[in-house]
Amino acid sequence: MIKADNVSKRFGRFDAVKDVDVNVKKGSIYGLLGSNGAGKTTLLKIISGIIRSDKGVPEIEGSSIFEAPDVKKRVLFIPDQPYFFHQSSLFQMASFYKAVYDRWNEERFHQLYKHLDLDPNRKLTRMSKGMQRQAAFILTLSAMPDALILDEPFDGLDPVIRQQVKNLLIQDVSSREMTVLVSSHNLREMEDFCDAVGVMHKGKLLYERDLEELKTDISKLQVAFKKMPDESFLAGMDVIHHEKRGRVLTCIVRGAEGNIDRYVRSYEPAIYDVLPLTLEEIFMYEMGSVGYEIRNLIV
Amino acid sequence: MFTIDTRSRVPIYEQLTEKLKELIIWEVMKEDEQLPSVRSLAQDLTINPNTIQKAYRELEREGYIYSIPGKGSFVSPVKNEINRERMEMLKKELERIVGEILFLGVPKDEVIKLIETMEEPERGGDDD
Repeated sequence: MIKADNVSKRFGRFDAVKDVDVNVKKGSIYGLLGSNGAGKTTLLKIISGIIRSDKGVPEIEGSSIFEAPDVKKRVLFIPDQPYFFHQSSLFQMASFYKAVYDRWNEERFHQLYKHLDLDPNRKLTRMSKGMQRQAAFILTLSAMPDALILDEPFDGLDPVIRQQVKNLLIQDVSSREMTVLVSSHNLREMEDFCDAVGVMHKGKLLYERDLEELKTDISKLQVAFKKMPDESFLAGMDVIHHEKRGRVLTCIVRGAEGNIDRYVRSYEPAIYDVLPLTLEEIFMYEMGSVGYEIRNLIV
Repeated sequence: MFTIDTRSRVPIYEQLTEKLKELIIWEVMKEDEQLPSVRSLAQDLTINPNTIQKAYRELEREGYIYSIPGKGSFVSPVKNEINRERMEMLKKELERIVGEILFLGVPKDEVIKLIETMEEPERGGDDD
């Protein structure tokens, strides 16, 4: 659905985005994660056709989006700070959206603002940050996009609204196969929401993977032995990180679970536990192994 | 029908397959009963539909459910195969737990006594 090959963007002497390849499947919820200033917003703006890349053209279902109104009608972007016309109300903004997006669904629009309990006649610029964001969601979802690009969408929303907005998005994903590309640095939240993730750091995409694949590829072992085996035990696995506390050995190991299982059991451990890793932990260790500090990634 | 623990370390996809397996094994969901559609489950639980799809695919691969294109997914007729597989899993789990108990210094007799105090459930046909 969304594809970008070798996209680069430079601001002055600063490489904001550098040779990034992104691939988002139709109907998928793709989380773009990374540190502050990693280039997430720039990349999203390039993909939604707001700024032109220096190199590489992003494509939406095979056609370029930059200065292509037909494509832009189907791909909507909610920036980290929603923009509304000066002094306008939700109704006034809706009439603008209706004029621009020919798939505008009036019925849905009424349903949505009632559902989220937003006064459509109140001036949007006088509303709080969270309410403005809700208004942006109402307008955007009423335009029935095929792809939705969101920049830090849940920022400033309370837990109830957060859940409601997520639910709305999921309804569109499951019923119309809408594609969602969402940036965030809240790993905990993305873990439950996305099915694929891409990690950016300093303008580069470190990797993009299926979330489950990422999780099954790496595991945390807790092993204790009656008699500690020698160094060869650790050398026999792809150990990213290990720690010894008393007689208990904790290691983060890459590889298929079945193979690890067989290997560890061959050493006859007294206690042996495999713990699933959280997304945060995966990043911590994966980044550590390529030389990035955890502090660079999670804020 | 069931809830997902979003604070748990266990991935949602695994929680889903486990919960559904449990429901099928304990016959809460009967043979040929239709599973909730991916769409409705996604909306009810606010879970990514792709995750649910994947869980269903996995259950189908393991023989717990079958799907009819255009109609949905249904519980497979109980097969000994499934039970045997589950039994193996549980045995391994028991082995692990007992191993841990013994490691912690609980005498073997005590573990055996504990098991003896447990009663075997009555295995009737349709007694629920």
